Amino acid sequence: MTLRRDVRHGLRIGRAEFVRSIRGYTKETRRVIGIIFSVLFFGVMTLFLASGAYVAGRSVQSAAEIPFFDPATTVLPAALLVLVVLRTFERIGDIEASEFVLTTVHPRAVVIGLLVAETSRLVLWFGLPIAAFVAAFTSGLGAPTLPLSAAAVLLPLVGWATVWGYALGIGFLRVLQYLPGIRRMLKIVGGALVLVFVAGSQFVGQAIVSEDISIGSLLSRVTFAPLVDYVSLAFVGTPLARPSSWTAAVVALVLLALTPVGLAVATRQATALWFTDVGSRSATAQSKGSESGFSAPKPLALAQSGRIAWGHLVRGVRHPQQFSHLITIIFFIGPVGTSAFQGLDDYLGLVVAGTGIGLATYLAGATFGLNPLGDERPQLPFLLLTATTPRTLVRGRALAGFAIGAPVAVVASLGSIAFGTKPLHGVGFALGGVVMCLAATAFAVGIGTAYPIYEEREFWGTETVVPSTLVLLLYIFIVGGGTTIGYFTTLYLVSEGIPTAVLPGVLIGLYGLVTAGVSYGSYRYAIRRYRTYTFD
Amino acid sequence: MPSKRSGPIAIEAIDLTKTYRSTVALDGLSLSIADGTVYGFLGPNGAGKTTTMRLLTGLSQPTSGRARICGRDITNRRELAPAVGYLPETPPLYDEFSAREQLEYAADLRDIPSETADKRISEYLDQFGLAGDEHKRISAYSKGMKQKTAFIQSILHDPQVLFLDEPTSGLDPRAARQIRQSITDFADDGTTVFLSTHILPVVEAVADEVGVLFDGKLVAEGSPDEVKSRVETGGESTLEDAFLAVTSADAPISNTAGATDE
Repeated sequence: MTLRRDVRHGLRIGRAEFVRSIRGYTKETRRVIGIIFSVLFFGVMTLFLASGAYVAGRSVQSAAEIPFFDPATTVLPAALLVLVVLRTFERIGDIEASEFVLTTVHPRAVVIGLLVAETSRLVLWFGLPIAAFVAAFTSGLGAPTLPLSAAAVLLPLVGWATVWGYALGIGFLRVLQYLPGIRRMLKIVGGALVLVFVAGSQFVGQAIVSEDISIGSLLSRVTFAPLVDYVSLAFVGTPLARPSSWTAAVVALVLLALTPVGLAVATRQATALWFTDVGSRSATAQSKGSESGFSAPKPLALAQSGRIAWGHLVRGVRHPQQFSHLITIIFFIGPVGTSAFQGLDDYLGLVVAGTGIGLATYLAGATFGLNPLGDERPQLPFLLLTATTPRTLVRGRALAGFAIGAPVAVVASLGSIAFGTKPLHGVGFALGGVVMCLAATAFAVGIGTAYPIYEEREFWGTETVVPSTLVLLLYIFIVGGGTTIGYFTTLYLVSEGIPTAVLPGVLIGLYGLVTAGVSYGSYRYAIRRYRTYTFD
Repeated sequence: MPSKRSGPIAIEAIDLTKTYRSTVALDGLSLSIADGTVYGFLGPNGAGKTTTMRLLTGLSQPTSGRARICGRDITNRRELAPAVGYLPETPPLYDEFSAREQLEYAADLRDIPSETADKRISEYLDQFGLAGDEHKRISAYSKGMKQKTAFIQSILHDPQVLFLDEPTSGLDPRAARQIRQSITDFADDGTTVFLSTHILPVVEAVADEVGVLFDGKLVAEGSPDEVKSRVETGGESTLEDAFLAVTSADAPISNTAGATDE
């Protein structure tokens, strides 16, 4: 009776949470456009995949011929389990408006609701491509019962992975609740792992191609044979049917038995987490303090914009999650990362200097400059009514970014001397890098104020505002391109000196004028945006 | 005129204590509040008022002590949920819903039959002046509209005990009066209202009993007149005078409930 009621409440909560997600996805034109592009992109991919699946369905003679079928039966449920653990960390570890929901229904209903909503979201994003793929394969195979048998086989597997992933995720959150020290450490380690994972995912493709690594042999080592037998049941009644094995039946029984057990464990864990208060966390937060007062170090203390910059830097150190968007650069560096260093042993110093300057200009603008109005939205009613001019506010933010980027440029450039760069060249790169950082940070505040993002989203347990992805990509392309030209210009100048020929002189002059003009114009625009800002 | 009530006990707490590591948020709180009472729960910021409400609504677990709401142990959530309504300081609403959707959702989770729910929702929306905006998304609502929507949500199932945390905070005078009037009406119908607020005139206007919490301890309790009588001002004292007197750092702290002139 209570189970039936909890399931009914859970389904209602799941529906409500799913509707909220849909409305969240579509509440802004910007997001709708992004979704349309995603649908177009993945739609085309799905068409290709579906046509491939159709051909595979026609040609395949046995399940063993389906590429990566055996390892996929183990890897995919494991991946789903990990995905749910991560999503529990990120999003579904608790429910919004918890005071209302938790005083209204039983925690088991909330757990069911959150899992239903999350599964629905996954189906929304991946359901159609998977359905198209299965339909095409079925059509090619000529076995119309396959979708039904596949669903019957996959549902227990998905149910098991979902409830146990949630139980694990909530279990981890409970540990972190009691051990805030570990929580902080995990945030750092987790952040590093994300970086490694993202970078690794970029390198792995190259490694497979260039090193001739057999992904099949790697995956075959993680294949769990009973799961292969179980998933093969999906082919019952089709030409690909395998002889049934008792292990498949055992796996089915285990999955069916463990799913309600997992739900019970998840409910117990969630109840303990949600009703054991946040006292430990708030107590930790209360224990942090700043007794030294707010005083900027010497170079920055000399001007008001410097002191403002120091404020941004201090806040950044205390709330590093606000820099989560900086990870994006890995996706750009990753694919070229290894190749950039291949065959360039003689020029390693130049590569080090160039990479350092590229990273420096990225950090100079992207760290603080790409969403100034969004970052400071809560403080703007105060800031805009102080005697401090918008120019000083913009300079402060730009200076904070410059304080991050410029040292990276200098250290990388001078450090490149150790890798074979001539000392004079190293100094030249350092100077050029500093100038480019200045241009980058001035450019960043302009495009950052043009398209502010005010919404917070949760990242590693804290709410933070990150810049628009569009603005970030635009910044990466323009500043990345400009830095590349600037780097080679600097290399030319330190190698050849001031050009005497007309063409190089004109080109370098043009580059300098465009860079300075665009950066200054962008900086002026940012000031105007601050000056004319209204809370509409 | 508020009057102290007697009868069955709606809220009973015995030696409730809540500690966060080394911090004592609530220190041996004992309460006994009769059915149909409007209980004004006062205290300075950080005194432990919200902690008390979270404990009594089952949202948090006491470190020691126990409590019952209408005879139901606060640890039995399945039994407790139908008996209580809770309006926390921040309205627990979903920006993506309209007021009507939000209330229908709440009614659904409260197992209120849809016809009854529709009728109640329409009546309350009309009563609180939200009928014209019921289909607008809550994200577009003013603070007062959100507060009123959340208030309706907390009373939709006719709870036996209603916990209100700063219900009139940020409301315009008309909306505040509506809430005050509703509190009185609910109490007249037998609902017990546990009202936490800093707005002392509201407490004076509606409360039958007042409890003052200071540093996690109940330092004064009684009818508003009894609590006011604890202060010797030479003239007519107000609840504000009494509040300031019993919550000053050098005020003597009584360790028993009940208004006492020390």
